[in-house]
Amino acid sequence: MAQDMRTILQESKVDRAAVDRYAAGAQKIVGEHRVSARQADLLSASRDYWPVNSIWMREGVFPALPQLVVWPESTAEVSELLALANREKIPVTPYGEGSGALGGVIPLKGGITIDLKRMNKIRALDEKNLLVTVESGLNGALYEEKLNRAGYTGGHFPQSLRCSTVGGWLSCRAAGQFSTRYGKIEDMAVCLEAVLPDGTVFSGRSVPRTATGPRADHLLLGSEGTLGIITSATLRIWPLPEKRHLATYTFERLEEGLEAIRLFMRAGTRPAVVRLYDGQETGNHFPELGDKRCALILLIEGNTRIVDAEAQVIEDCVRLKGAESAGAEYVEHWLEKRFDVSVASILFQKGAVLDTIEVTTNWHNAHSTYLAMQEALLGVEGTMLASGHYSHVYPEGAALYVTAVGFPGEDKIGYYKKLWQAAMPACHQKGAAFSHHHGVGLHRGLWMADEHGPGLDVLKKIKTALDPQGIMNPGKLGLEEVRTWRK
Amino acid sequence: MAEVNMEQLLNCALCPNLCRCECPVLQATGREAVAPAGKARIASLANEGKLYWDEVMLEAAINCLACRGCTIHCPFPELNLCDELLYSRLPAREQGVNLPSVEPYLNNLRKYSSPYGQKAGALVTENQPGEKAGGQKVLFFNGCTSLANHPGSIEAARSVLVRAGVSFQMIEEDCCGYPAQVWGDEDMVRQLAEENRRKFKDSGAELLVTSCPECWLTFSERYPNLGQELPLEIVDGPTYFLGLIKEGRLEPVEKSVTEAPGPKVVSYHDPCIWARTAEKTAEPREILGAIPGLEIKEPYASGARTRCCGGGSMFQLAFPGTASAVAGRRLQEVPADAVLVTACPFCREGLLQGDKPVWELIEVLDRFFK
Repeated sequence: MAQDMRTILQESKVDRAAVDRYAAGAQKIVGEHRVSARQADLLSASRDYWPVNSIWMREGVFPALPQLVVWPESTAEVSELLALANREKIPVTPYGEGSGALGGVIPLKGGITIDLKRMNKIRALDEKNLLVTVESGLNGALYEEKLNRAGYTGGHFPQSLRCSTVGGWLSCRAAGQFSTRYGKIEDMAVCLEAVLPDGTVFSGRSVPRTATGPRADHLLLGSEGTLGIITSATLRIWPLPEKRHLATYTFERLEEGLEAIRLFMRAGTRPAVVRLYDGQETGNHFPELGDKRCALILLIEGNTRIVDAEAQVIEDCVRLKGAESAGAEYVEHWLEKRFDVSVASILFQKGAVLDTIEVTTNWHNAHSTYLAMQEALLGVEGTMLASGHYSHVYPEGAALYVTAVGFPGEDKIGYYKKLWQAAMPACHQKGAAFSHHHGVGLHRGLWMADEHGPGLDVLKKIKTALDPQGIMNPGKLGLEEVRTWRK
Repeated sequence: MAEVNMEQLLNCALCPNLCRCECPVLQATGREAVAPAGKARIASLANEGKLYWDEVMLEAAINCLACRGCTIHCPFPELNLCDELLYSRLPAREQGVNLPSVEPYLNNLRKYSSPYGQKAGALVTENQPGEKAGGQKVLFFNGCTSLANHPGSIEAARSVLVRAGVSFQMIEEDCCGYPAQVWGDEDMVRQLAEENRRKFKDSGAELLVTSCPECWLTFSERYPNLGQELPLEIVDGPTYFLGLIKEGRLEPVEKSVTEAPGPKVVSYHDPCIWARTAEKTAEPREILGAIPGLEIKEPYASGARTRCCGGGSMFQLAFPGTASAVAGRRLQEVPADAVLVTACPFCREGLLQGDKPVWELIEVLDRFFK
């Protein structure tokens, strides 16, 4: 007998007979063993790493459940599965490793979750042209490992490297910690292969650049499963670096650190890692440095002579802004701990709600956005800490990462919503963009109209054109209102 | 009954799992339900009564090879997910919830004290040591899997021990109880522990040498947890045989690699338990390194970062398809021109796919030492 599993966000479900018909069809496409209606598989595909899901998990309830999980192994199978879903008007949610932070894989309308983890092959390594073609379900750490074994790096190291997929990166325009040198995933993606809801398979060309109209395949970058399913991508790769230079500097004030970074980016240097922490986070991550100064950690890598030259230019720039050198050991410590997110599990069990909000600013508002968001978060009753760091930088600005921790008592969901209701307007008023790399998912969709203005209608028209039945990951990206999740 | 550490189980259940890349079951199947956090969530919800154990939930939560690959990147030093899952599942059997695929093997265990059925005969041996005699009186324990599937390794062990002049015996073995532990029958583990304890005591041996890592783990960790401390010292096979070499009781045969048929290049696959629990990664390599002319090539992930063969937790019996898929992934990491050597009967079984041989370390000793 099936267990009673209560859901909170389930907007609707597909008629049982239609699901049964789909299951029979899917079994013909992928085989009996790669289609499951087992409750263990359904509840596991119901969630991602959105903090709200953890709150509900402890209460023994689920966000929303799919009615089937299917594991394709090829683009042809994905094509047939989508075409069948389109004919039956059954919602489809693509799933990778579930590391998303905003509820992007919650199957609000039930239907089918297509888990892509069995599409995990490297299709081609093109050493001459420095390109790799990889299927979208490959785990990030295993992708990098395979490249390393051949003498290359993918240059993409998100904190979720070990618990995310290549397809997940592409679907939410992810950024790695080394993005200042190697770029975000959209900079690495030369072309994509994707399947539209009607089963059409298409791909771009793996040439450096084109001027033959808008790139249809690039439409899928950041589409979070709402337009189709990315099945593979051809990505840029780099030879493993000859040299790595590590350096830490501290500044009396955050603004000085920001100005130093602006100067060395303006000078043309491209260190791989540039991270500037406020005093609070400096003290948390590097207790020996205390919390009175702001730490800047740098990692420069690549060709030896270029690395040496960049290190010298950067040294000149940071000295101009009063930097004190603190040695390489703090970068080594960061390298060792950079994927560790254990604090979230530990604090959560102590009754805390913790979330991180990453936004993008230009240089002129980089500091004021930090101040405004910090003030807004601290203004929410229950907040114990609101701190920040700049995690990715560009010639024109930086990504700002703000972390809030609070102990709200019983109403954790209410507190969580208040945090975002305070932070997003503060970000908006300063002219910053609402997300740098976590994407939109379900939750950030609540602010998509503020972010895009009339541009959101353009996105909705594209959605309607490519997915007229509305089967692809419904309720995400702010493309439609979600009755069960409001501000 | 062993108690579940809910704080640690929840640490995993609430974590995005930095270990996902090292979980062989997840990577082979793609199933979220068998990801470390997937299993931890089901187990924690069942422990707290928010879900109940049924066949479907049990099938997911038991889908763990106990390879401890998840510990490689785990940020929680106190967390042993394999054990927490093991303890979490114990109430399932008490509530009458079983995994049908393993019931025939549990019945074998009840009837024959071996999951594989009736044991092969002619095992019992007692060696009267020759002129090189010395050291402790040894009880050599082969384990059910070698007994059932690879008698050649038993012959090799017997031959090597005789050659080294060891005063040893092999007895009619009962299973150590590891399969019953994995499948949740703790009463049977207790019965087997009591029986083995009695037999070991009656043997008069001072040292128990086991070539099977699962047996070693059960004797040295599980039995004490059940209050069944064994009345003799326990040592793993690789350490014991390296000791015989260092004492000069086994010597490599000169030119045995270059002038005789057999492997010239080998690659050692570290069994999970020897590598991560017993921390025995140097000993097998020292044994191989003592053979003149034998080239050793490491597989991609080796030592404490070894990857599972698919044979842990009796997977070849419970989930043969997944076991085979995990082994296939591991074989891709072994140098193509090398003969694979390992020191675990489950690893040998798992990695023995196609026509490529897999040698047990004891067979290498038998072949290259006098």
